[in-house]
Amino acid sequence: MRLVGAKIPRVEDRRILTGRGHYIDDVQLPFMLHSSFLRSPLAHGRINSIDVTEARRAPGVVAVYTGEDMKALAGPIKPVIPTGPAPEYFPLVTDKVLFVGDLVAMVVAESRAQAEDACELIEVDYDPLPAVVDYETALDPSVPPIFSDLESNVLVTRHLEGGDVDAAFKEADRVIEVELSQHRVADVPMETRGVVADYDDDSGQLTVHSATQSPQGVRIQLASTLDHPINKLVVLTQDVGGSFGLKINIFREDFCVCVASKQIGRPVKWIEDRNEHMIASGHAREEKILAQVAVSDAGDVLGLKAELTLDQGSYPGLPFGAAIFPSLIDVLLPGPYKVKGYSCDSKVITTNKCVYVAYRGPWAIETWARERLLDIVAHELGLDPAEIRRRNYLEGAEGDQLITGRSVSGITSRETLDRALALIDYEEVRSQQQVARNEGRCVGVGFATFLEAAPGPPEMRLGGGMFAGEQATVKLEADGRVTIITAQSPHGQGHETTLAQVVADEMGVSMDQVQVVYGDTRLTPFSIVGTGGSRAATWATGAVLVNARKVKEKVLAIAGAQLEVSPEDLEISEGIITPKGVPSKAISLAQIARQATLGPASLPPGTDANLESNERFLGEGITGSGWSGGTHACVVEVDLGTGAVKIVRYVVIEDCGRVINPGVVAGQIRGGVAQGIGQVFYERAAYDKEGNFLAGTFMDYLLPTAAEIPTIEIEYVESDPEGEIGFRGVGEGGIIVAPAALTNAIEDALLPFGAKITEMYLPPAKVLELAGIIEE
Amino acid sequence: MTMDMELTVNGSAYQVSADPRRTLADFLREDLRLTGTHLGCEHGVCGACTVMVDGSAVRSCLMLAVQADGCDVMTIEGLERDGQLHPLQESLRDCHSFQCGFCTPGFVMTALAMIEEGSAPASEEELRENLAGNLCRCTGYQSIVEGVIEAVRRTTDQSASAQGAVEKRVS
Ligand code: FES
Ligand code: FES
Repeated sequence: MRLVGAKIPRVEDRRILTGRGHYIDDVQLPFMLHSSFLRSPLAHGRINSIDVTEARRAPGVVAVYTGEDMKALAGPIKPVIPTGPAPEYFPLVTDKVLFVGDLVAMVVAESRAQAEDACELIEVDYDPLPAVVDYETALDPSVPPIFSDLESNVLVTRHLEGGDVDAAFKEADRVIEVELSQHRVADVPMETRGVVADYDDDSGQLTVHSATQSPQGVRIQLASTLDHPINKLVVLTQDVGGSFGLKINIFREDFCVCVASKQIGRPVKWIEDRNEHMIASGHAREEKILAQVAVSDAGDVLGLKAELTLDQGSYPGLPFGAAIFPSLIDVLLPGPYKVKGYSCDSKVITTNKCVYVAYRGPWAIETWARERLLDIVAHELGLDPAEIRRRNYLEGAEGDQLITGRSVSGITSRETLDRALALIDYEEVRSQQQVARNEGRCVGVGFATFLEAAPGPPEMRLGGGMFAGEQATVKLEADGRVTIITAQSPHGQGHETTLAQVVADEMGVSMDQVQVVYGDTRLTPFSIVGTGGSRAATWATGAVLVNARKVKEKVLAIAGAQLEVSPEDLEISEGIITPKGVPSKAISLAQIARQATLGPASLPPGTDANLESNERFLGEGITGSGWSGGTHACVVEVDLGTGAVKIVRYVVIEDCGRVINPGVVAGQIRGGVAQGIGQVFYERAAYDKEGNFLAGTFMDYLLPTAAEIPTIEIEYVESDPEGEIGFRGVGEGGIIVAPAALTNAIEDALLPFGAKITEMYLPPAKVLELAGIIEE
Repeated sequence: MTMDMELTVNGSAYQVSADPRRTLADFLREDLRLTGTHLGCEHGVCGACTVMVDGSAVRSCLMLAVQADGCDVMTIEGLERDGQLHPLQESLRDCHSFQCGFCTPGFVMTALAMIEEGSAPASEEELRENLAGNLCRCTGYQSIVEGVIEAVRRTTDQSASAQGAVEKRVS
């Protein structure tokens, strides 16, 4: 049976549907203690004194740690992947708090309630300092840097150019300048953060149960910051209740919990509550781009100059900080369009806000800004937004490159736009829009095109340094079953299913013969990101596929010698090896596996009894453009009475190469689109001018529900359907493009009012402002 | 101080004493080790902690354990019988309804209460409203809505055996 391409039910679902999933809060160890953190109520302030006497005496309390206590035991914290100047800081604050929610002290107690109660008994005396909350203050050279050991609040700058930008601007009929900004939001997995550390004094082994995307990333960062021998550090990960980039990070709380377990000699658990999560886990996306677009009156986009500012909040993320993201944004910003000259200047600034973390498509502003700009330009020139795209698309021809020098040969942007507009019935929608306008209703249609470098073209894969390549193990076990060991650490992506589908097909066995092992650093290969960056479809699949092939070769060599048939003339189906066309002569995988395990000396000479392969996959055999991509289109109706926007229709045309499991792929796309809808209409990680956080609960930070998310129609353009490793990632495309399609549609609806959307967040009041119905 | 209480959970009778401040969620998860019920917010919004108490869906983070004295409680662990998934579970699996699974117990128990009350919604829109008290961050909801519609169909359409329907979908 051909499993790849089929909507196979997920292996994971039986356990999650029966309540037998095993999430971090389900970890229960003998003699386990619980912990709680005292967090800063101030955005910025100096600690004068801290008194933990009462807390130490409180019932059930085993230990209390202040910043100074912790500093003596761990740190300073240095990202294992440096991305720019790193301030010196420690797991708990030693002198200054840098955001509301910053870590001031830790209590370890027999129960969580006791730890929380004792936190309230800690007395801290602060001297408040003025908070740096917005771009302007951070960029003001007279404002002292929030990290006193850094020179300014500008952490890194970066410049990138492509083509001849001056020539492009000289050639232009006009230059259109716009500043576009997207607001701070948060990843908000339904499971909050948590960790359990379990130190064994005899062996010196520290076992860390971590709800992470990357057990090996956690391991290497913990070992480095705690100065703990890495060969005595084990990270275990089971089910993780969502992440979206957040849990790729190693958190300061993780260090504290490990230190406490090592000090006390008992397991210590920390489970974050939702309020802490909203305030202090991580936020994302706060960026703005000041853009100048040079165009001809006919609608040719000639040049683009951009200035990007990214507000990373206070501490840098671990194992890499937000300073890494401008290098993705600036490369991708010009997108699949024939720009002649381009420049981008980026700045990453620090402010007194929560840590900026990766959130699904952390480079996403490039898609929103570019696709927004194209519509703004189209409206200025009096062109249809479809026309301006069609005029400027790179065709994906041999030798086509982004202006930033990345190959895009084989991309299908135009095809996906054409299909999206056909599916949504563009002309009909336009004529209905007119009818609606005549009736005083406000209907709009919008679309946007994206590229997702998953894995990207060869020069991005191989130049990708730490992100290039992936190792996996495939092993034929003694009974003929297959074990896959992957560096991925799934948290909803269904890798136990998809990797098994691919290997089962390759090895000629049924799905239930294949077991996927992950989340145990004693077994799993190194990967700094684990499951992240939409790597699994190409990298993890490629890694298991090439290793399955190696194992199969070894097996067929043995079978061939035994059956006296050339290995090329053998095939495996349902675990039985037969010469093609001679089904009567057969030997089972199980027979060979058993013989190789228990009687290796009896194997034919020149064959290998080690039926295991763990080579590193470096991308050989990846076919197609390397890009996922597509176009989303939607129709909206704006209620001019309330400012509410109804999404009447939403269609996705996706090209992610060959689809492994349509159920999984559609889920990734729809989940991403829903988060994009949330980001535009509902979600905002808001701070006030003093740096107080305003969205600490689900009553203030609104997530969309089933009633707000429409049906999302999906069609695939499967470019390269027969390619050898033609599977491409699909985790991030949905969220990076949805805000562009939506805001374009809303602006289109509000064009009669002269609306121009430059901020992504569009709650009802903002929509009414754009329509000129209420004042700003 | 603790209070004595009696209750039935997933068909088993318990005589226990519980701290009067203990939530039903903590009682189920920690005292009975029924960790299938999840806590996503502990303030009554996300619905992940939903269980059935005397046939109605309730948020176990907002209910005290002692309030369940004398009640019949069902959690996600109680649906499977003798290794056989409930048709709702089968439908959700066949429709790829979930991803990370953290919201799953809440949706399953909300949908189960709805199906068992026989109050199948008249339209998809109404179903979406009924499910709007549960948050899912992974799926965009469509797969969950499809799964519940499929479950309603399978549990009301006697002629199609659940097994037959499963085979049809998978093939
Ligand atoms: S945990 Fe009970 S509603 Fe969220
Ligand atoms: S499946 Fe992850 S929150 Fe719903």
